[in-house]
Amino acid sequence: MVGKALKWVSFLFFAVMLIWGLTLIHPFGEPLQSDMDSYFIQNAQKECAANNVVTSIVFDYRGFDTLGEATVLFTAVMGVTAIFRGVMKK
Amino acid sequence: MRMSKIVRTITALIFWAVVVFGLYVVIHGHLTPGGGFQGGAVIASSTALFLVAFSKEEFLKKYKDAFLSLAESGGLTLFISTAFLGIGTTFFYNFIANSGGIFGNPVPFGVNNGDLNTGGTLPPMNMAVGLEVFGGISLILFFMFLGAYLKPFNKEESEVHKE
Amino acid sequence: MGMEYWAHFFTLIVLVIGAYLAVFLRNLLASVIALSAMSLALSLEFYLLHAPDVAIAEAGIGAGLTTAIFIFALRGVRRD
Repeated sequence: MVGKALKWVSFLFFAVMLIWGLTLIHPFGEPLQSDMDSYFIQNAQKECAANNVVTSIVFDYRGFDTLGEATVLFTAVMGVTAIFRGVMKK
Repeated sequence: MRMSKIVRTITALIFWAVVVFGLYVVIHGHLTPGGGFQGGAVIASSTALFLVAFSKEEFLKKYKDAFLSLAESGGLTLFISTAFLGIGTTFFYNFIANSGGIFGNPVPFGVNNGDLNTGGTLPPMNMAVGLEVFGGISLILFFMFLGAYLKPFNKEESEVHKE
Repeated sequence: MGMEYWAHFFTLIVLVIGAYLAVFLRNLLASVIALSAMSLALSLEFYLLHAPDVAIAEAGIGAGLTTAIFIFALRGVRRD
């Protein structure tokens, strides 16, 4: 009985807090700080010579992110191969 | 382990179309939405299709698993070495852009028709990452496919599973 | 309240229905298919929000590869 009441109270508390937070969120499509976005939009086509600004950010301006992502994938595949290395012989 | 004849025929029809679409996404990564990671995932989904429809032997006839791990490690090495080629200025410096040679045409500001011969180091990096993601996800799928058909360890356990 | 509003509305409805079915269905294969449908609706929502890069990644990985891996896992668990 008490457990059920506690469940409902915590659910209502979480839902009210979530909806309250959603009302406080910033309006969609109007970022607070747009200096970096304006720089990329103005200069990315000239500096990287590519039409797709997202790719020029991912592979050029923020290349370390992509390097880390590729390393994570490599490590994951290494782990899977190490686990299943005996399977191929059967 | 093989599925029915209908599934196998449709897979044989669709397989190369999926591969060609993934190659398109990779090669046009600096012009249209997409890039190395997305294109590699699309090519690897063709591997998933092939594994679901056909058996392990036919997959090993198509790709050796040594080829897949070579694609993965070779793609990562190509990516890092392309990044290191611009070490004269900074790591990840786009040294081919606007140089006039291969991948070196300048791009006007604003909306324009795409030119495949632009982008500097972006197209080689896209291809390297596409190769790496294709090899890696195909290897994961292949080993998980093999692991799904593993025999139980001892007799009693297999008897328990049968009930 | 234009066309785009209703497109968002119905895509999000499909998303929530897919997520609910993926949790509460008893048949595991049907649950995996519901998860795949939810992922496809999520990719459509990303496309409607003008992020086609993320939409392609979500459609390829979420709807394609994850479903295949889950189906392999189900085949491995069920010994019949």
